[in-house]
Amino acid sequence: MTDPLALDPVLPARERSQLPFNDEALDHDERYRHFEAHVTGGGKVEATDWMPDEYRTQVLRFVEMHANSELMGVLPEREWIMRAPTLRRKLALTAKVQDEVGHAQLLYRVAEDLGKPRDAMIQDLLDGKTKFHNVFHYPTKSWADIGIIAWLVDAAAIVAQQALRDSSYAPYARTMRKICWEESVHIMHGRDVVVTMVTGTPAQRASIQEALDRWWGPLMQMHGPRSDRSKDRDIHWKIKAKTSEELRQEFLGIYVPRIWELGLTLPDPNLGLDPATGEWRYTEPDWNELRTVVTNHGPKSEERLQFRRDNWAATQWVRDAILASPRAAA
Amino acid sequence: MAAAKTPTGVLEPWEVFRQEKDGDPMRHGGSVMAPDATLAVHYAREMYGRRQESVHLWVIRRADIHDLADPDLLQPPLDRSFKKPGGYVMREKLAAAREVSGQQKPRANKGTR
Amino acid sequence: MTEFGPLAMDFTGAGDGRERALALLLLSMADDEFVIGFSDSEWTGIGPILEEDVAISSLAQDELGHAQALYRLFVELVGDGRDADAVAYDRPPEGYLHARLLDHGRGDWAATIARRYLYETADAARLEALAETSFEPLRDLVAKIRREERYHLMHVETWLDRLAKAGGEPRRRLTAALEAMGPDAGTVLALLPGEPALLRHGILAEPFAAIESTWRARIDGAFGRLGLPALPPTRDPQTARTRHSETFRALHREFTMVRGSEVAASW
Repeated sequence: MTDPLALDPVLPARERSQLPFNDEALDHDERYRHFEAHVTGGGKVEATDWMPDEYRTQVLRFVEMHANSELMGVLPEREWIMRAPTLRRKLALTAKVQDEVGHAQLLYRVAEDLGKPRDAMIQDLLDGKTKFHNVFHYPTKSWADIGIIAWLVDAAAIVAQQALRDSSYAPYARTMRKICWEESVHIMHGRDVVVTMVTGTPAQRASIQEALDRWWGPLMQMHGPRSDRSKDRDIHWKIKAKTSEELRQEFLGIYVPRIWELGLTLPDPNLGLDPATGEWRYTEPDWNELRTVVTNHGPKSEERLQFRRDNWAATQWVRDAILASPRAAA
Repeated sequence: MAAAKTPTGVLEPWEVFRQEKDGDPMRHGGSVMAPDATLAVHYAREMYGRRQESVHLWVIRRADIHDLADPDLLQPPLDRSFKKPGGYVMREKLAAAREVSGQQKPRANKGTR
Repeated sequence: MTEFGPLAMDFTGAGDGRERALALLLLSMADDEFVIGFSDSEWTGIGPILEEDVAISSLAQDELGHAQALYRLFVELVGDGRDADAVAYDRPPEGYLHARLLDHGRGDWAATIARRYLYETADAARLEALAETSFEPLRDLVAKIRREERYHLMHVETWLDRLAKAGGEPRRRLTAALEAMGPDAGTVLALLPGEPALLRHGILAEPFAAIESTWRARIDGAFGRLGLPALPPTRDPQTARTRHSETFRALHREFTMVRGSEVAASW
């Protein structure tokens, strides 16, 4: 858990910027009120602005979990890089996983400029003190999983990320725009894999349906349980703009028709659009499963964390070497 | 002064500016962590140029950037409208001049060229 | 002389000495790029530094792209109905022609840098000898590849320098890797059957032995400046490209796993 008092700004405060909360002559409560008015009125915050501890911590927690998810998200897919069945698929999957690492870099940089060093964030992740998104705690069992994940998991993520492009924390908003642009390619790659297999051999088609049946539960849980908009601090500070349910509805609205278009079925007999309300109805996701999984008790949580711990330890010497000053040849 | 090519022993942020196509201005892309300019340039190429999305990059140590955000200097309070187009609104004066001259407001003449 | 018996069946489409020699050259180069691209792509997601992870993945993707382009030239030349993917994936392990240097697995970061340094410098020498090749499609491709390889050489030279000069553990790991791989380094430039035809038809500018000499002089110069030992001569040059390791066989099992599960399917 990130200690809010441990986060000192690492960047020098802007000199007397025109924004009143940056005025050091004002007391904390006044600055807080100006800041809150600024943000709730649609104003943006930069890394060099004064921020109340609550805002700084809230943003950092949000961005840190996102960064962690990118770093852990590479693991389910990476094992299939070696097994990709054509050169083009191998290139596409390698590039996709590379992008996830790049996203981790972008997001850790944003978080770092808020006051927490990258190494500390990675250590907290490895120690199980911070979280990563549910979908990355599950196994990948076949090449079909690769298509389903790249298409639908990335789609669910992009729905959330598009809504973050206007976040009050400007460095994060800018990063989201770059990430959304890069993610759109992943979704196309995933959909291409799925469509190719769905129109392929019976075994390929069956493999896609089986993967979809397994991933649907985690996908429905991905955006999280419904929350009360008026009580949501992330929404209050405009770190994010849409609720979990709004994101889920958006995802269902775009992607369920595209899934059905391929003749695939979804393992929820209650899933359907209610014409009267325009809302998608569905069986309530298993929120216990979500809680269990994101607290690192998912099917692959410990194995993947251990893999990362081992890898981090094994590569420490390189990180140390990169800082070494050049010495005369021995 | 040329940035240090030898490792400094410290990982620092280096800001990356990119030009998307010929003639465009340099725009800020983001930052990379690196111990020196050689690796900073490598990493900038990877994070902001691996997809052929840039034609030119600038990589600068964040610590070498001189920052100005002082509102007294950039947004001084007294009137400066004489320095901007918005300081020259002539609609009413032109209407009065046309009344005196009896002329119509000219239509924009695009010419034949 | 080099044994290429299992490959005889691959060249039913290739006509005279020139075509057979050219096909062998293309396939050896393509397989080199394919195998090193494969090994280095393993770093994706587990690189020692986030930025370096992204960098090595780009390098691996470039190698695979080069392999793909070379396989395409091969299939156009041989014209036996296979496409580039079929050549890349559908041979038994003993049918691959990559240099034994690349049979060494990914290893740690020092081993990767050592392997890449030895390979990229040898490949650069090979590409130089092909820059004016009489086979036009290859000349065009070599020009493009050499431009991309400039970045590869920058990266690997930077890291060789850093690891060697850091002293302590980094240098120790580097020297251990160079010692393990050194006897296999020259396999990239080992004699290929059909070399006389390649020379006679202006495909190759000079014999592999000459290319190797030039390369060794350069490497020994660079190593000397860093206080690293000179490279030993190539071990078992006769099997430079034909006897592959268990590491490669394991890699082969991985990369044929999905494709082999549904033969003749589209992916």
